Amino acid sequence: MAEMNTSESGAKKGHKKARSKKMSTRVDLTAMVDLGFLLITFFMLATTFNKPKTMEVNKPAKDDDKKVEEPPIKMSKTLTLMLGNNDKVYWYVSPDEIDANTQLTMDSVDYSSTGLRKIVTTRQNEVQAQWGKKDDLFVMIKPLPTSKLKNTVDVLDEMTINGVTRYAILEPTDPIDSLVALRIGQPRK
Amino acid sequence: MPKVKVPRKSTAIDMTAMCDVAFLLLTFFILTTKFRPSELAPIDIPSSKSEIPIPDKGILKFEIASDGRIFVGVDDQPTRLALLDKISKQYNLTLNGNQQDAFRLTDNWGMDIRQLPTFLSMDANERAHFAHPGIKVDTTGGEQQLEDIILFARQSYDLSPDRKDGNDRLRIAIKGDKSTQYKAFDKLIQALQNRKVNKFNIITSARTAKE
Repeated sequence: MAEMNTSESGAKKGHKKARSKKMSTRVDLTAMVDLGFLLITFFMLATTFNKPKTMEVNKPAKDDDKKVEEPPIKMSKTLTLMLGNNDKVYWYVSPDEIDANTQLTMDSVDYSSTGLRKIVTTRQNEVQAQWGKKDDLFVMIKPLPTSKLKNTVDVLDEMTINGVTRYAILEPTDPIDSLVALRIGQPRK
Repeated sequence: MPKVKVPRKSTAIDMTAMCDVAFLLLTFFILTTKFRPSELAPIDIPSSKSEIPIPDKGILKFEIASDGRIFVGVDDQPTRLALLDKISKQYNLTLNGNQQDAFRLTDNWGMDIRQLPTFLSMDANERAHFAHPGIKVDTTGGEQQLEDIILFARQSYDLSPDRKDGNDRLRIAIKGDKSTQYKAFDKLIQALQNRKVNKFNIITSARTAKE
């Protein structure tokens, strides 16, 4: 009887075919977008975007490597920079010949464009006037044991900026260096 | 006068396009990301005008913390294993598979080489929180651990399958803190020069306008 009833009732409802209800194809994407942006945020924060740069340093080979002795450089072509504390750089120009009457001036400047850069350009011009070539300037960079790495990098940077082609990081072994170190009150070794 | 009726609009927005964009960006970030290696000590690198990018592969990286501790790390894993093999032969260390695996996954480390087995048998969590004392540097002519690491790392890289040609040598990069004293830096340079490495890179950041 029940079967009969259902068929009857179905017929009563209408002559249309029984269709499955049409579902909407639209899905709520809000949650998915939320998740997407959450992950983006994570990857953005975890990623290292600006790749660090590097600065190339070439050190002169140690003495036992080469047998050939290079002729000593004229001191009047040089500029010696000693890196002190508190972002100060001490500079002097050693004379060619040292005798009892030699006067040596030593001054300190900072690493700004008006400090060290001015010294280097002045010295470049002096060398050009005396020797005819700007590139003849040889800068001796002598960091003291307590100098900061930042200052070493700053000085090397300054060499690139001023186009100094000949420079070297050396140990403060010159007798004048010990006097300078004594004067500025920093250990030399 | 009849009131102007504002037609009521549905508040549901079509999210499809937004979803597309979100996942496009997500894919980009997943593919380009390179995770920041773990830091043993905070290092604030100096800035410079130099614009040579750091090479992706084949670098032996030394880190010098502001207190002078030196850490070392090789970037690729086959080289790390070869390096460990050479170190353990030189220093008579016996390491099991787990310890070797731990070393393979260690980005950088800094301790007396003889302490390595103890360090490598810790579990991952302990290793992450281990305070590295820095590589032992002996300037009095005893064991030259730093020199050995440099030599072995270079030898290991020469055997690595990633190497492009005979001229592709392991490059040395030094990452130092701004306030690292030169004497710590000098120790490392002396060690490098003892191993005939006269060319190396100092890692710097791009200089900003105000500096």
